[in-house]
Amino acid sequence: MITFPRVVRAEWTKLVSLRSTWITLGTASVLAVGLAGAIGYGVHRSVEGGDPPPGLPEAVSAAFLPIDFFVLVFGVFGVLQMTGEYGSGLIRATLTAVPRRWPVTAAKAVVQAAVTLPVMAVTVLGSFLVCQAFLRDEGASLGDPGVPGAIVGATISPVLVGLIGLGVGTAVRHTAGAITTLVAALFVIPVLLGPALPGEMERNVMKYVPTVAGQAMYSVGGGGQPFDTLSPGASAAVMVAWVALLLAGGVSLLLRRDA
Amino acid sequence: MIEVRALSKRFGDKLAVDQLSFTVRPGQVTGFLGPNGAGKSTTMRMIVGLDRPSGGTATVGGRAYREHAAPLRQVGALLEAKSVHKGRTARSHLLALGQTHGIPASRVDEVLAAVGLEAVARRRAGGFSLGMGQRLGIAAALLGDPAAVILDEPVNGLDPDGVLWIRNLLKALAAEGRTVLVSSHLMSEMAVTAEHLVIIGKGRLLADTTVDDLIARVAVGTVLVRTPEATSLRDALAAGGATVTSAEPGLLSVRGASAARIGDLASRHGIALHELTPRRASLEEAYMDLTREAVEYK
Repeated sequence: MITFPRVVRAEWTKLVSLRSTWITLGTASVLAVGLAGAIGYGVHRSVEGGDPPPGLPEAVSAAFLPIDFFVLVFGVFGVLQMTGEYGSGLIRATLTAVPRRWPVTAAKAVVQAAVTLPVMAVTVLGSFLVCQAFLRDEGASLGDPGVPGAIVGATISPVLVGLIGLGVGTAVRHTAGAITTLVAALFVIPVLLGPALPGEMERNVMKYVPTVAGQAMYSVGGGGQPFDTLSPGASAAVMVAWVALLLAGGVSLLLRRDA
Repeated sequence: MIEVRALSKRFGDKLAVDQLSFTVRPGQVTGFLGPNGAGKSTTMRMIVGLDRPSGGTATVGGRAYREHAAPLRQVGALLEAKSVHKGRTARSHLLALGQTHGIPASRVDEVLAAVGLEAVARRRAGGFSLGMGQRLGIAAALLGDPAAVILDEPVNGLDPDGVLWIRNLLKALAAEGRTVLVSSHLMSEMAVTAEHLVIIGKGRLLADTTVDDLIARVAVGTVLVRTPEATSLRDALAAGGATVTSAEPGLLSVRGASAARIGDLASRHGIALHELTPRRASLEEAYMDLTREAVEYK
């Protein structure tokens, strides 16, 4: 008999049995920590060259600058969880085994979060510590105000973007189309939306854009964005709403369409 | 038992399956025949809930496939050859499918052995040949020890050994009392495997019959007669109640009279015969006739 925990177990087996899962997440993690170190070193050298030392917000955002871009890796990872099944034809076997369909996407979301969360926790902690080590005296420490929250935010934000990717992959089905959609939503639309909106509206709208809200989750004191952002907690709520919206949209299409 | 009732599927303005009704009974192999594009795959996909019917119903063991608590125990399906992620091993692939139903790893090893893949169980499926992929698909179909098995063109791309293996497997599954529905566009393949035939063309039912009935239907052969006096002979034969058609001048195709009777008749009328060849239509021809009519009917 099909039960939701059994479908979760099956999706767990699928995710961990692919070599590409570990290569993708491992490479992203190592690169993020390495770049955080390089950025810390770069900031330290420019301070030595006479630049003013970074304040707490800048020291924190230096460590998490690579995360701004590695959310894309997680988003694409989420997309592939679904489009990989369509591309290989596996989706037919999957949906024949679980013909009610929605548990498949729900189980993928659970498993993906369970795998990416610890990976991000290690990556974020590593990035922070390595970056601050290079910053020496100018660096922030784990006990500084706002830092624990930023670390939690930086851990969760890419996981949520991964789930947005899963929703987009469920809706769009084809890898190339889904990745294009995701990149447009995360990187192109925010860049174009700002100038396209009149000033007042821009201030009110931009903070709800996933990329902006996602970054606000791990910034201290506004993080130096060129526009208003919500508090880290409110930004997290916005991100969760995007995840829920996209997963629900993807699942409703999954239920309606021929596989 | 699989029951299809007035099943229809429309893709845009094309009716792929049109008011199709038939029943697949347990304990025998039912061949699902039709030319490419007749709607066989679409029908099979609707039975297991991958495609949503535009009209009608398909039930398995009395209910729609998706209504079953453990659908893999009702139906095992092989739809298109490769339904496997290239990067995953054969064993992990089956393990994940089985885990949705709480099927243990021991059953996975059992079906891998049954299809002869135990040696490559831990190799990634991307490197599998067409035949190995087909065997893995069949292992997946057998995983839930299902009451019914649905296989879409299972012998496609298999070598003669593989074809023979599938034939014996289908017969063994039917002998165990399972419902077996297997599609093919080749009558010759079905003639040696199936006992019952469901033949469709352009999405419509053309015949729902046993192989024996179909053979009986086509056993009425024709006789080819070559004669310089075709017109006289045709009149004489027609008067005797036979049906005569002519494909080319001087060549008659006679139905409803034996070669001996035609020879005697010709002799009585003083007509010279240059050729007198009894022809028995094959199952293949009967099938071609059936499906050709469907194409022309449209």
